[in-house]
This record gives sequence, structure tokens and C-alpha cells, in this order.
Amino acid sequence: MGKKKTAQTPLTPAVLHVLLALSTGVRHGYGIMKQVEADSQGKVKMGPGTLYGSIARMTEAGLVQESDRRVDPEMDDERRIYYQLTGAGRTALEAELKRYRGVVAVAEGRLAHGH
Amino acid sequence: MATNIAGRRYRTWYAMLLRLYPQPFRERFGEGMAQTFHDLCQERQGARRGLFGFALWIFCETLAGIVKENTTHMPQLGKTLLRVALGALAVLMAPLVASQFVQDWKWPVGAFVRVYFLFFATGMVFAMVAKRMGAWSYKAGVGVALLAGFALGWSNMVQVADSGNPANLTYYSVLVVGAVGACMARLKARGLALTLFAMAATLALIAVTLPSGAPPYLSRNMAIGHGVYTALFTASGLLFRHASFSGLSQTPE
Repeated sequence: MGKKKTAQTPLTPAVLHVLLALSTGVRHGYGIMKQVEADSQGKVKMGPGTLYGSIARMTEAGLVQESDRRVDPEMDDERRIYYQLTGAGRTALEAELKRYRGVVAVAEGRLAHGH
Repeated sequence: MATNIAGRRYRTWYAMLLRLYPQPFRERFGEGMAQTFHDLCQERQGARRGLFGFALWIFCETLAGIVKENTTHMPQLGKTLLRVALGALAVLMAPLVASQFVQDWKWPVGAFVRVYFLFFATGMVFAMVAKRMGAWSYKAGVGVALLAGFALGWSNMVQVADSGNPANLTYYSVLVVGAVGACMARLKARGLALTLFAMAATLALIAVTLPSGAPPYLSRNMAIGHGVYTALFTASGLLFRHASFSGLSQTPE
């Protein structure tokens, strides 16, 4: 139930940002936060409460999963858990971006005609 | 050095805060969250930036997450209870903080506890009744009745605390009439109208039976106070009466 709901309905901004951050590769919590900050040019600052709450729901929905890979040797620590996008996560991200493109096209058309 | 100590202290507090998450969530993400907080603190310290404001933001943000995770699988009544309890706590902050700055405001701990229960009870009554509201006049009637009842209970409690005069406790009989009447009416508009009129009448009766001999300025203030509360209870009764005639909310939805 969760998978369908998350993949088909508009994603929350936090979920979209996490998916976008993980689309560049495997990351741990702090890495995701930094990537979100970079992707949004510093406009979105996500705290651990929002991040891990989103990860919990995304894991349940099958959009992300824990990864065994360790890709940040400088910051490696046994406690650090890495996450990666699943196939369903990538599909959800693509679907959401397509939806955004549609909204932008409608908005631009409307603004161009002065409505 | 001082920043390191502060950082360590904040990490300890953060670890304690994480204990408030539901156990399955904590077991799964607790260490990762603690590690992430540690990373964020190190980043701030590396940039020689203060930790206090940052830690405060993270604590509040995590607290919001804790409330969300705890309420996700909770039944609706539990969610309502938690929300009202937290709301009452937030409102309680106003007198709590004000009492630190106002010189003669010295409430004992018990007074704050009673005020908290007053906030909580008012919030719960509104939350439970709000779900069942129908017509606008019914909603307005509940709002006015709760506002007047809360103000009466509050001002009376302050009076008792300040003067120590137990005679003021008689005003609580008005609230008792309201509570008993609302239960007997089963929240139906017609019954609530009668209840509110009964509350107004009880208050008027108390005003009439008060011993005379108070200084003129006190008598005037008391008359105004009684008049305002009686008018509010009567207005609320009239709103319920309107709701019962409109037929929209004879029985709450």
C-alpha cells in the first residue's frame, strides 16, 4: 500500500530532495543533508528529524534501502548507515520530475498569455 | 576547548532526546541520527561557529519529528490527547515565563499544575465537541461558553490564590452546573441552551447573595464582572437556542 501511495501521489518536498540527493550515489545521513543543501543552493536545510522520518517512510515504501557500500573513507564509522536509491525510487523521482515539467509548462503558458 | 565541552554536552542531550522516539524507530535510526548530529556539530566547530542556536534548532526540529513518529500509529483519541496536552503546555509557557519577569507574580507549583489542567480540560472539551459540530451557531455557542467558562475559572483561581478567600470557590458551582448540564443534554443544542441559561442564572444568584459592605470601587468592579459573565453565558445559550431552532444541530453530527 505504501509503495503505490508514495510513488503515485505528488512527493513531499523532503522526499523529493532526498531522492534527488541519492540519485547521485550512495550517501549517509550527513552526506544526504549536505547534498540537499547543495542541490537547493543553500535554500533547503534539513534537520535529522525530517531526514530520518522521511527515510523511514521511503524505506517502507521501497524507494530507498540501506547499502553495504562504504564510499566515504574519511568519515567512515561503524555507526554510519549508507542509503541508496532503489529502482522504484528512481521511477518515482522520474515520475515526479515529469509531473513538475507538466506543471511548469502549464504555468509558463498561462503567464505568457497573461491569464 | 569550551566549544568542545559544549559540543559534548549537546551530543549527550541529543542522545537523551532520541530516547523519546518509538523503540523500533530508535533502534533503527537512533545511532545514525546521533552520528549525523555529531557530524553537524563538528562541521560547526570546524567553521568556528557557535553551537547554541544551531543545537536549539536541531532539538526543536527533532522534537517535531518525535511527536510525528509517536502519533503516526496512535489511535485518533491518543493523537488528540497528545496534541491538546502539548498545546496546553505551550500555552502554559506564557504565565510561566511572565512569572519570571513580573515581580509580584509568585505562584506556587500547585497553581501552575491547576492552570495546566484548566488549559488541558478546555482544550479537550473543545477538541471533542469540535468534531461533532454542525451549525455555525452551535460552533459559536461552544466557543463563547468555553471562553467564558475558562475566563471565570481562571480569574476565580487567581482571586483565591491572591486573597486566600475560600468564599470565591462558590463561583466554581457555575462550572459544575455547566459540566453536569452538558452531560445531561448529551451535547444537544436545546439542552445546552438550557444549561447555559442555568449557568447565567446561577451566576446572577451568587451576585445577589454576596454580602454587601465592600468598598464602592470593588462593588462596581464586581458588578461589571458578574454582568459580563452573565451576558456571555446568556449569549451562548441564545446561540444554542438558535441552533436548536434551525434544526441543523439538534443532534451533534
